[in-house]
Parts: sequence; structure tokens; C-alpha cells
Amino acid sequence: MYPRPIPQTAVGLRRAYMVLVIAILVLWLAPLFAILLTSARSTSDIAAGNLWGWPTQFGLIDNYVGVFTQTPMARFFANSLLITVPAVVFVLALSTLAGFVLSKYPFRGSMLVFAIFIGGNFLPAQIMMIPVRDLMVRLGLYDTTWALIVFHTAFQTGFATLFMRNFIAALPKELFEAARAEGASPTQILIHVVLPLVRPALAALAILLFTFIWNDYFWAVVLTLSDTVKPVTAGLANLRGQYVSAWNVISAATVIVAVPPVAMFFLMQRHFIAGLTMGAVKG
Amino acid sequence: MHSLFGGATTRRAFLKTVGGGAAALAVGGIAMPAIAQSNNLTIVFNGNNENQTNALKAIIAAFEQQSGATVTLNQMDHEAHKTAIRNYLVAGAPDICFWFSGNRMKAFVDRGLFDDISDLFVQENYQSVLGGTINAVTVNGKQYGLPLAGTLWGNFYLKNVFEEKGLVAPTTWDELLTYGEAAKSAGMAPFAFASKELWPCAGFFDALNLRINGLESHIALMDGKMSYLDPALTAVFDRWEELIKGGFFLENHSSYGWQEAAPLLAQRKAGIMNLGNFIKYAIPEADLPHLTFVPFPKIADIPRFDDFSTDSVHIPANAKNKELGRQFLAFFYQPENLAAYLAPAGNVPPRNDLPPSSDPLVNAAVESLKQVQGTAQYYDRDTDPDMAQAGLNGFQEFMVRPERRQDILNRLEQTRTRIFKV
Amino acid sequence: MSNVWRRHRGWITPAIFILPAIVLFGVVIVASSLQSVWISLHEWDGFGPMQWIGLGNYEELFADPQFYTSLKNNVIWLVIFMLAPPLGLGIALLVNQQIKGMRIVKSLFFVPLVLASVAVGVVFTWVYTPQFGLLALLFSAFGASAPALLSDENLVTFAVVFAALWPQIAFCMVLYLAGLNSLSEDLIGAGRVDGARGWNMLRHVVLPQLTQVSFIAIAITAIGALRSFDMISVMTQGGPFGSSSVLAYQMYEQSIFSYRFGYGAAIATILFLIMLVFIVWYLNRIMRAEDRSA
Repeated sequence: MYPRPIPQTAVGLRRAYMVLVIAILVLWLAPLFAILLTSARSTSDIAAGNLWGWPTQFGLIDNYVGVFTQTPMARFFANSLLITVPAVVFVLALSTLAGFVLSKYPFRGSMLVFAIFIGGNFLPAQIMMIPVRDLMVRLGLYDTTWALIVFHTAFQTGFATLFMRNFIAALPKELFEAARAEGASPTQILIHVVLPLVRPALAALAILLFTFIWNDYFWAVVLTLSDTVKPVTAGLANLRGQYVSAWNVISAATVIVAVPPVAMFFLMQRHFIAGLTMGAVKG
Repeated sequence: MHSLFGGATTRRAFLKTVGGGAAALAVGGIAMPAIAQSNNLTIVFNGNNENQTNALKAIIAAFEQQSGATVTLNQMDHEAHKTAIRNYLVAGAPDICFWFSGNRMKAFVDRGLFDDISDLFVQENYQSVLGGTINAVTVNGKQYGLPLAGTLWGNFYLKNVFEEKGLVAPTTWDELLTYGEAAKSAGMAPFAFASKELWPCAGFFDALNLRINGLESHIALMDGKMSYLDPALTAVFDRWEELIKGGFFLENHSSYGWQEAAPLLAQRKAGIMNLGNFIKYAIPEADLPHLTFVPFPKIADIPRFDDFSTDSVHIPANAKNKELGRQFLAFFYQPENLAAYLAPAGNVPPRNDLPPSSDPLVNAAVESLKQVQGTAQYYDRDTDPDMAQAGLNGFQEFMVRPERRQDILNRLEQTRTRIFKV
Repeated sequence: MSNVWRRHRGWITPAIFILPAIVLFGVVIVASSLQSVWISLHEWDGFGPMQWIGLGNYEELFADPQFYTSLKNNVIWLVIFMLAPPLGLGIALLVNQQIKGMRIVKSLFFVPLVLASVAVGVVFTWVYTPQFGLLALLFSAFGASAPALLSDENLVTFAVVFAALWPQIAFCMVLYLAGLNSLSEDLIGAGRVDGARGWNMLRHVVLPQLTQVSFIAIAITAIGALRSFDMISVMTQGGPFGSSSVLAYQMYEQSIFSYRFGYGAAIATILFLIMLVFIVWYLNRIMRAEDRSA
């Protein structure tokens, strides 16, 4: 291990180390504390310009209740899940298949296909706005959750394929050679060799994709219109008034919106690091 | 998760789901209106004032009861709506949408995206109750929307603060200069100015130009018929520069949004803010009774013209149920409903047959409007959107770097010639 | 029939596997992007008929001072963003200990990455706000007054990049944490036997094993810098007077606020050409690495 582990016996050193780490962590998370504190402020506190001090007046419950009463936040939350979860699942499926083929069954032009996957994903998304909107209208998907699912699936497949291809390419060659020697078909190799090994990578990728898609705001505005379809980020924006922004309520909403990705990361942290270890990082 | 990668089955299932979903939705999008024609109404609303939304919801409920229709209200963030409307007017329009009158409306009218509702004006005889505001929704003699809340722009201040500091609200240019010196020696910025959102700069430009050159010349500039290098504008920028160099504006104003700057009035760090009456949202409740305004100081010896911007409500040309849309607009525009809708935001009502407001600021604005000889909407609502974007940036740059005046004006003139093809 | 299948399944199945991804990506992303390039050759307001003007948009763009401001800012983003990989490595080294509670600490370091960028932008605006901002409070504690960073045309971009660095460092930290987990114990052990410690160990034993991670971290960071949009939109809207705009934002502003989709598309095309440099570099690295190992 590097750096050298601090031995369990060196109690003093361990304590000093923890103090140092926590001190840095507090600095690191200072902006986050500002959001949390502000989500507990009253409106008059905000008007008085108190952004960083301890709240002089608390409006914690009002703010969090306000999020749910001023917007159909519960509905938006459900919409976000209905968009994000299927999109993540589709991306994982498509990118595993594509990554498997690109790394193990190279064909004429496969490098070009790979290059296009990478290149397309690096495009600034805004410029695709009009063509994508027209496409969704033609498909009859405009203003449905499917518009966002299809778009995010397509867009993230670029990044995910890059990730999965590198991961699968780094798997031990011997496994594949042995499977082929036994006459295994590509489908069998996929099911019996690749899938068991890529699960950590899928876990890591799932968290990243979940975060990216969950936090998307731009496409939510472009492709949806109805409250019954809009995701939670658009609901967050709904809280920004025409002339007045209630930062305390917005902060509360931000905290609420951040809960699913943060929770996901906490729950899957072990897999996340392990997946990245074997995947992206070995490329 | 493992079973998801069952190869072909999953993929087929996926395609089936996507295909099926698309088909179902396509059917929904095309076939439904035939059934829904008489009964379903979709509204997109861009307001975020909670009380106003509730008022609208109450009106909708009453309308549903009276007409037997089902109304869907979709609320949208004010800024996001500006992007969304460009998509949905083309892609999948609601039956009713809220927007702005003036040039912003005209942009969509020119592209055939708003429905001509002159018939509704005739049927309900709106002409007789609307007065001058009818012009804000009229293009080539036809009406394309109903004017809603109006915002009169002026110099807002707190009476108690002015009394306490011995300040006098200026009504002429000389008084403005005197006021400025007095405010500065009281340790206050004469103008609580905020330009982070850019548009407040244009408000100041409008005020100066309307006071110096008058409405006709201002509108010619807005319509691209007058050059930004025209000598008539020299006086405008001279006066403006005088104030900038005299330290009349809040320092670092481009760091502030107007909501962050408005509280400075109550904190006695600034005296006046040039804004609309929505400023009241950023004033603490305790100081609200002291909030008042004066028109921008008189400069040239011409009649008084001011910015009076109105929002409006429209029927998109691609709406599925225009007949029901008209019914709703007529219902919504009845005096008692309109009054209930307008009350929370404290705007000037467009109809002259509404009962007097309980908000003294509204009544003051109504009174003040009687002295106004003609109104403009607002720089970014009056001129081409492309021109407005360049203008707002240019004015902000001028307010920070007045020495670059000539460069800025040259650039604006270039933009004008490109846009208006002169 | 069965024989034919047996003979060809070697390529048919893989072809079927990759087809959905290619079709979906091709129809939605590639076709839309190509359409954008097509749009860039027109004058178009997003609604009406398009008017062919050839390279007119590009000619105007190269004469537009705002284009060069945006380009310069993109370079600033790129350069400062390159601090993220080393800083991320620093934090990863700091927290890479197996002590009770460290798992939570690591998760907390990661939190900035999962926050919506709107939230990050808003809170950093609070840091910079004159009078009430954190910076102003800190300065006034020492009796000084803080510069209004977001108002200063020369400093504003740095202030925004600094805010955007926060989640980017978290991203790099996670990558390096994973990298540190996969270090070869043998090599580290051998290094220790040779008496390598601290900096020497890092420089000569650890970093060479982290080449791949660094490579990915740099690529992701570069692309992030070029695509920067959200933070600018939230914190400054490109202001004051366009001095903090970047190409992605200028494109958005021209398309959405000025209704100039053709001009916006031309900016996007140029931006993509710049990104192409990184994409080609990246692909080149991957191919060379694989040639070596093959």
C-alpha cells in the first residue's frame, strides 16, 4: 500500500492524522455547509444578507415543506426516477455489448466506430438542441419521459462504451482464449466470462451515469413541457421566481435533489472504487 | 442485474418497449385531440408567485365547473420557459401560454406561431376597456394576445430613509445632481444599481433616452431605423457618463443581482433604485409601507414618456383546442377574475374597469400613468432579441468602462446593420 | 441452415450485439451533430426557412472580438483545470488509509461531484458576493476589502474556474483512489527494500504505475474544461459584458437569446474541432498502449 499505512500501534500519530484529515474535510465541504445552513434560514435572514453566519432565525421546516408545496416535487421526484433508472439500465446494457464487441471482435472500421462514440460524447450538448428536438417530435416522443430516456441513453452510451471497452480489453486474455478453445460462442463468452467479471465496472459506471442523468437540467427544459413528465431539476428551477429567488427554499430543494446520488454512492462505495480500480483506471 | 444481460431477449424486449412506447404516444398525440376537442385544455404558466399561482388555480377550477372542461396547468420556471417556448410552439403547443407583449410577442407573430384573436376582442368588446395597452398586443391592426400585468418603471426609494438622511427625491436633472452629492456625503450610493442580470442597464438607457430624445426617436432606434452613432444619442451618453464618473452607481454593480442590491435601500447603503414595482419583493416587510417612487427626473423640455412593460397571454397557432382556449380567455379576463389574478403581484391592471387596488403602490402607478404621454415596453422587449443581447452587453460595458464608449457604439451600430440589413 | 449459422455466428452475433448502440448513437447523436454542421452554413432563427450563406458565419466569427475572448477563456479553463489531477492525487494520497471511519471520509470528499452544478455555482456566488460573501467576510476580518471578483473582467474567469475545480478535483480524487488500490504490492515492497520513501517512492515507483489513471484524469479534465457551461450560466452568464464567456456559452447565448442558430452552430463546430485534438491524442494513446501489450 502507498502511502505506508499508519500502524495501529501509533495511537498518537493516528489521532493527529484524523484531526488533519477532518480539518481538511471541513474546509473542503465548507460550501456544502453553506447550502445546509441556508436551507435552514428564514427569509428575513436572507434579505439581511446573512449567507455565511449562523442563522439568526430558523425556517427549516417551512423551507423543506415549501419545496413540496410550492412545486409538485414528489411528482418530479418520481419522474426523475422513471427517467434515470431505465436510462442507466439501457446504457449499461448497450455499452457492455458494444464494449465487448469493440474489444474482442475488432472488425474493419471498429476503431472508427469507437472514435465516433468518444467524439460524439465530447460534443457540447447545446448544439444538438434543435435537431434532437425535431427528432423527438418526429418519433412522437416530445414531452414524454421516453424523450429523455432515449436521449440520455444515446448520449451516455458514448462515454459508457469507452469505459466498458477499456475494462473488457484489460481482462486476462487467457480466459477468452480458453473459452474459444472450448468452442464457446460469443453469446456464451459474454454470459459466462464477461458478465461475471464486469459487475464491479457496471456498479461504478452505474453511479456515474446515475449522477450525470439525474443532474441534467438542460435537456429537461428542451424536451419536456408537462408537469407529469418533468424531472426534479426542472422542479428545482421552478423555485426560482420571476423576480425573486428564495435561496433558502432553493437550498432545501438542492439538498433534497442531492439525496439520491449521494445515498447511492454511500451504499455502493465499495463497488465503486473496486469497479474503477479494475476498469477505467487500467484502460 | 445479471439477468438484464440475457442477450437477444433483452434487446428485443428493449426495442419492443421503445417501439411500443413510441407507437402508443404517437397515437396519443394524433388521435386524442379528436376526442378531446371539446373538453381538454392545456395551459403553460411561467409565473412563480405562489399567491398568483393559487389565484390562477382558483380561476381554472371555476372555469372547469362552469364549462365542464378539464384543464391541465403546467408551471414552468420563468427563465427556462424562455427556452422552452421556442421548442413547444413548434413541437407540441399547449392551448394557452403566458408570454410578453411588444416585440417579444411580435417575434412569434411574424413566424405565424400565435393565433390571431381579434375575433375575441370584437366579441368581448375589449377595445372599450383597454385603452392604450391594446397597442402592446396589436400587430398590423390585429390582436394576438390579452395584455396582463403592467409594470411602470421609476425611481424607487424609502420615505423614512430619505427623511432620516435629509434627502429629497429628484425630479429634475439639477436636483438629481444635488441629491447625488447629498447621498454620497451621507455615506450612501445614490443609485442601488445591479447589472449582473444585464437588463437594468437598459432600463437606465431607456429612461435617459426617453427624457432626452422622446418616444418617437426611441422607437426608431428600437426598430433599427436610427443609427447608434446618431448625434442625438451623444447627449444621452454624456449625461450617463456624468453620473458614472460622479460615482452615482453602486460600486461593483456587475456583481449584484437586483435582488441583492434592493435590500441596500433598507440598509441605508443606497438611496434610489431605478426599477419596476416588483422591487417590493426585496424590501423587508417592516419598510414596505415607506416604499414609494418618483418618475425619472425631467431633462429635456418634452412630454413625459416612460417604460411600461406588459406581460400577456396567448393562444399558440398550433394549439389543439382554440375554441375552448378562447372561452377560457374570455372567462379569465372577466374583471373579477383578472383582479384576483393581478392582486398578488401588485401590477398595474390593463383594464380600466377594475376596482381600485388595495396596494398603494399600484394606485400610485395608475395615477402616475395618467401623466405619461406615451409608453415604451422596455429595451429588450422593444428591439430585436439579437440586438437586445448586444445592447445589454454594450450598456453594461459602458457603465464599467465609459472610456470605451466609441468602440461600444461602433460595435452596436455594426450589429444593427447586420440585423436590420440597412 | 444450422451449418450456415455455425460458420457465420463468429461475426453475426457480435454484429447483432453492437448494432443497437450504433443505431441509437448514430440516429440521435451523430445525425444531430452533422445536422448542426449543416446548420452552421445557414442563417437560421430556429423557426423559419434556412438561408444558405456558405461560410458566412465562420467569416463573421473570425472577425468577432467576443470569439477571441471566449477562446482565451477556454484556454484559461484548460490550464487551470489541469490543477485538478495533481490536487485530486494529493487528496487521494491523504485519505488512502485503512482506519475506522475512513470510508465515510472518502465518501464525503466525493460529494461535490454528485451535487448539481447549479448548486455549486450558486454557493460559489455566495463566496464571491461583495459585502456579504465569504471572501468579503474573511477580508474584512483583516480590515481589508475583498476584490469583487465577479465584476472584474480580468479576474472573473479565474473565479469561475476555481469554483468548477471543486467537483473536478473530487472526480480526479476518486480515479486516483482507485488507482492507488491497484498498485502492485511487489513493486512497492521492492521499493521499500531499496530504501525508497516519500517523494522518491512517489516519483519513481508509484507514479509510473498510475500513468493510465493520470491519462484518463487528464482527458476527462480537458474535456470538462472545454465543455464548461453550467457554472458560467449560473455564476456570471458570461458577464461582465462577455468577459467570462467561453465557446460553449457563447454558442448557447447566440442560439437561445439572439435566435442565431446558424452562428451558434458555427461556434460549436469550431469547438468540436478543438476537442478533436484531444480525442485524436486520446485514441492514439489507447492504440499505442494496446499495440505494446499485444
